[in-house]
Amino acid sequence: MKDAPALIDTDVHNQIGPLLPYLPKAWHDRYRETGIPYGVQYYSSVGVNRKDAVTDQGGPPGSDPQFLIRDHLDRYGIDYTILTGSGVLGLSLDPDPDYANVLATACNDRMIETWLNVSPRFKGSIFINASDPAAAAAEIRRVASHPDMVQVLMASAARMPYGQRFYHPIYEAAEECGLPVAVHPGTEGKGISGPPTPSGYPTRYMEWHNILPTNYMTHVNSLVCEGVFEKFPNLKFVAIEGGISWLPHLMWRMDKNYKALRESTPWLKRLPSEYIKDHVRLTTQPIEEPANPEHLVQILHMIEAEKTIMFSSDYPHWDNDNPKMALPRMPKEMRQRILAGTASELYGLHTKPLSKDDDSGEQAEQIAAESKEAPGNAWGEEE
Amino acid sequence: MKRHWVAKKTEIQENKQRIFQVQGLEIGLYCVEGRWFAWRNVCPHQGAPICKGRVCGTRLPSLVYQYEYGMEERILRCPWHGWEFDLTTGEHLVDSGTKLRGYEVVCEGEDLFVVFP
Repeated sequence: MKDAPALIDTDVHNQIGPLLPYLPKAWHDRYRETGIPYGVQYYSSVGVNRKDAVTDQGGPPGSDPQFLIRDHLDRYGIDYTILTGSGVLGLSLDPDPDYANVLATACNDRMIETWLNVSPRFKGSIFINASDPAAAAAEIRRVASHPDMVQVLMASAARMPYGQRFYHPIYEAAEECGLPVAVHPGTEGKGISGPPTPSGYPTRYMEWHNILPTNYMTHVNSLVCEGVFEKFPNLKFVAIEGGISWLPHLMWRMDKNYKALRESTPWLKRLPSEYIKDHVRLTTQPIEEPANPEHLVQILHMIEAEKTIMFSSDYPHWDNDNPKMALPRMPKEMRQRILAGTASELYGLHTKPLSKDDDSGEQAEQIAAESKEAPGNAWGEEE
Repeated sequence: MKRHWVAKKTEIQENKQRIFQVQGLEIGLYCVEGRWFAWRNVCPHQGAPICKGRVCGTRLPSLVYQYEYGMEERILRCPWHGWEFDLTTGEHLVDSGTKLRGYEVVCEGEDLFVVFP
């Protein structure tokens, strides 16, 4: 199809900007004092943001829509990008659910009123407070009808594995609204989440970053075993930035154990790996870089990458991937599916934006200017 | 086709003994709902002595978070990895292509015979 998108970036971080006008007065003092909690914990000498992505006005990376379009979307010919915000996912990990709920609502309102108006290439994620599933479900239903909101997004750091029935109201609402539910890393071990590993806290940033995929394994394992995809058969789950090469191991281990222990999950009607391939989508960045790239391609075949894997850059973060260089040599059809095909189906982005008629005017400039006022910037970023 | 005497029915019904040596092969004999079945004492997965496993029921396919017990006394559960086999068909509950090796059982009065191909 000639006008089908050729490249969709499923993880780009934009600064949501200051939330004060979107918050009830009762929360203004707290927001001024604390912003959105739980950004910085592990120190990296590289930092989370790319140093070259500071905007030409000197603003934080991801804070100026026009700069982001020039610096990233136009440079690489990206048709659509899924915005995943910046430094806000920690809201789910605040001990106070009432504060977290108003923050989620404010983030969504600001995303809709600002970024999503700037370019048809921007698609939004609905932020939720996953630690209060009833409120999260209500927030999903409140904003899901906005045509540019294409998924629900929550921190991969959680108090419990995400398949557990505590969270089912989130999946019920998302399925009802026809939206996938995505998780994004970076807050593991922060706030009220569990420690980053069952043995506690890694010492340094690199060590913490290396092991983030184990939390993704926890959630995918839980979602399948708890029967979430039997209960919500149209639900899709997007595992952003959690790695991909661990998936064959998990699928094989789950299938093997299912052959022995199926009576503990009698609601599963198929092998666990089949639920994963039908319902879970993973994003590429940070793509694994084995010494022999062919080894990664073998893994992509094992996990039916044509339908399970979607390209993501993670712009403007330090460990971002270049869409022109990151993927190893692979069959053309598989590459097309990863670069755009699967994402276009998942997010309903079947044709390229009609024209790249981005609003280059006042609103984009205002977003860039206002981002400097956001206290959230003091609390750092997710990954 | 050769018929081999294996046991008296009472030996098995009293649950003392299920595994018998026949022509150098270990065979497990089971009575399920009045029908007799003979299975070779080898799990097709990794060679465990499957007939030393429990005879039990299981949880049937159900809705999420619901539990329906059934197939009582019809499941043979491998003593190693716990794979469940339907004693009436020899089929693994997850993968019906994985099957126990079985033999026809012939009853004559109180005597049980297996038929080797």
